[in-house]
Amino acid sequence: MDQVIVDIQNLVKRYGAITAVDHVSFQVNRGEIFGILGPNGAGKTTTLEMIEGLRVPDGGTAVVDGIDVRRDPRGVRSLIGVQLQEAGFFDRLTVEETLQLFGSYQRKMLPPSEVIDRMQLQDKRRAWVMNLSGGQRQRLSIAVALINDPRIIFLDEPTTGLDPQARRNLWDVIERFREEGRTVVLTTHYMEEAQRLCDRVAIMDHGRMVALNTPRALIRTHAPSTTVALTVLEGELAYASLPGVRNAEVSNGEVVLATSDPMQTVHALMESSRTGKIGFNQLRVEEATLEDVFLHLTGRRLRE
Amino acid sequence: MNAFFTTIVMGFRHYFRDRSTVFWGVLFPLILMGLIGLAFGRSDSLTFSVGFIDLGGGILAEGLRRGLNEVPVFRVVEETDPPQALEALRKGRRTLVVVVPVSAGEPVRVYFDQARPQDSRTALVILERFIAQANLRLSGAKETVRIQATGLQGQRQLRFFDFLLPGILAMTVMQTGLMGVTWVVAEYRQRLILKRILATPIHPLVFLGGLVGRYTVTNFVQMAIIVAVAIAAFNARIVGNPATVIGLLMFGTLVFVGIGFAISTVSKTPESANLLGSAIHFPMMFLSGTLWPREFMPDFMQPVIALLPLTPLVDAMRAVAARGDALGPHLPGLAYLGAWGIGAFALAAWRFRWE
Repeated sequence: MDQVIVDIQNLVKRYGAITAVDHVSFQVNRGEIFGILGPNGAGKTTTLEMIEGLRVPDGGTAVVDGIDVRRDPRGVRSLIGVQLQEAGFFDRLTVEETLQLFGSYQRKMLPPSEVIDRMQLQDKRRAWVMNLSGGQRQRLSIAVALINDPRIIFLDEPTTGLDPQARRNLWDVIERFREEGRTVVLTTHYMEEAQRLCDRVAIMDHGRMVALNTPRALIRTHAPSTTVALTVLEGELAYASLPGVRNAEVSNGEVVLATSDPMQTVHALMESSRTGKIGFNQLRVEEATLEDVFLHLTGRRLRE
Repeated sequence: MNAFFTTIVMGFRHYFRDRSTVFWGVLFPLILMGLIGLAFGRSDSLTFSVGFIDLGGGILAEGLRRGLNEVPVFRVVEETDPPQALEALRKGRRTLVVVVPVSAGEPVRVYFDQARPQDSRTALVILERFIAQANLRLSGAKETVRIQATGLQGQRQLRFFDFLLPGILAMTVMQTGLMGVTWVVAEYRQRLILKRILATPIHPLVFLGGLVGRYTVTNFVQMAIIVAVAIAAFNARIVGNPATVIGLLMFGTLVFVGIGFAISTVSKTPESANLLGSAIHFPMMFLSGTLWPREFMPDFMQPVIALLPLTPLVDAMRAVAARGDALGPHLPGLAYLGAWGIGAFALAAWRFRWE
C-alpha cells in the first residue's frame, strides 16, 4: 500500500488580485494526524476545500488515495469524511435523522446509532438540531463526517469556539481515529492543538507554506532556544556569558534567559547560587512552542 | 434512489414540523375559502353573463344592445350562433341568452338555465324591468317589445363552492412554488447547507430532484386536507374526472415549483427571494380568477391576465373540476404553462450556485 495518501502539488487559488493559496505542496502519510497551522486568513480552509473538491484550484493538483480530485471529485468525496468549519444542517431534523439523510448521500453508511455512540450524542439522538449546544453541533458535524466510515477525515478548525473541556474531549476522539488506522487532516490556529495532536504540522501564512515537519523538529530547527527564567533576590551575574545563553533580559530582578543548552545553563546558575554569588528563587525552564516557531518564521504571533 | 427518497421523507418531516408553513399551506387557503364563501356564497355569481344574438339587426336590436350594456350587473357577450350560445348556457357560462328576432313583430326570445333558478329569476326580473322601461319610452310607437322566456335544462347547478374550490387548489399550487420554494435554495445556500451537501458524493440533480419531489408530496397532502375540509364543511363538489384533476394539479405543481426554484437561484438572499415571490404571487392570486371569475377584472386588464401563467391552470381546473368539461380546449393554455415550467427549470439550472 502506498504510504502517501494525500498528495498535493503546487496548489494555487486566486480571488481577484489576492492569492489565497500560493503554490502549496505537501504529502500526507497514511495513518497520521496532519495539521495545517496558521492564523485566520492564512489559506488553510481554502487549501482543505480544494483537496475536498469543493473549490476548483487555479493551478496544481490534488490526489487523494490515487484519485485526482479534479477528474473525479465525487469519487474522492466517497472516500473522505468532511467536517466543514461552518456547515448548515436542517433545523427541524433530529440528530439521528440528519445522520440518516447524509448517510443516504454516501456510497457506504455506518449505522447512525454507532456514530451517535462514538460522538457521545446518545442523549440527543431525538433532539432537533436547532436545540443543540455549540459543542453538540460540532460533534454532530464530525459524526456526519464519520457516517461513511472514511479512510481519511478532514477537520476544519474542529475545536474553534469550544470550551477547554469540550476541546480536550474532541482531542481524545481525534486520537482514536488515528488508533483505528484512519488518516486525519486538520486545520487549527491553536498551537497547543497542533503540538498535542499532530504527527506533522504544516505552517501556513499569507497563502504560503512556510514550514513542514514534526512539531519537535520544527521547534528544534526554528526555535532552538529554551527559556530559563528566575527571580533574583540578591547579587549579580554576567548572565549573557553563562554557557549556552544566547540572550539575556533583566528587569526588576526578573531574569529571562534564552539558551540553546538548558542543562548547562541551569547547572551554572545552581553553581553560582551554591557559591553565594547570587540568591534566587522560582527557577522555571520552559520549552519553546510552535508559537515561538511561528514568531521566528513570520515575525508575528499566531493570534493577532 | 435511496438518497432521493430519504430527501423527500426528511424534507416532508422538516416541513410539517414548522407551524408557520402548515398555517400558510393548509389553514390560510381554508380560511380564505371560508371568508370568500361568507362574502359571496349566497348568490351563485356576481354578474350575469348575457349572450346576445342579433338575428335581425335594426333599431330594436341596437337599442336593446345599448340598454343591456348599461345594466351594471349584465356582461353582454355578442354571439352569432344560437346553438353554440345555448350550449354555453347549459354549461353555466351564460346566465341568459337573448335572441333578437329577424322580424320586428316576433317576440324577443330569452333563454335561461332552469337549474339555476335564483340567478335566472334575478336576471329575468332585471331584463323585464329594463324592457318595461324601454316600452314606456317607445309608447306611441307602433311596436312594443315583447319577450318570451324559455327555460333550458342546464347541465347541473354550479354552486359557489364548486366554483371556488378549483381556484383555491390552483392558488395552493402557485403558493407552494412562489411562497414555499423560493426561499429554500437561497436559504440553504446562505446557511451553507448546500455546501455541506456538495461535500458528499451525491449527484446534485438527485438532491434537487428530491427537493422537487418533497414539495410535490407536501403540496398534495395540503390539497388533500383542503379538499376534505371543503367537501365536509362547505359542501363543495368536484364533478370532473379525478385522474384528470390530479394530473392537472401535478402538472401545475411541477411548473410552479420550477418557477420557485428559478426565483430562488437568481436571488442572493432568502429575503429577496421571498419578496420577489410575493410580488408575483399576490397579483396572480387576485387577477387570475382563483377567488372570483376573472371576467370581473376591467377589460383593459384582460390581455395581461391572459398572459399570467396561473390563468390557464385556473381555467382548466375550473372547467374540469367544477363543470366536468373535457380537457381538450384547454391544451393550448396548458402548453403555454408548460413553456413557463421549462423556461423556469432551465433558468434555475443555468443560474444554480452551491455558494
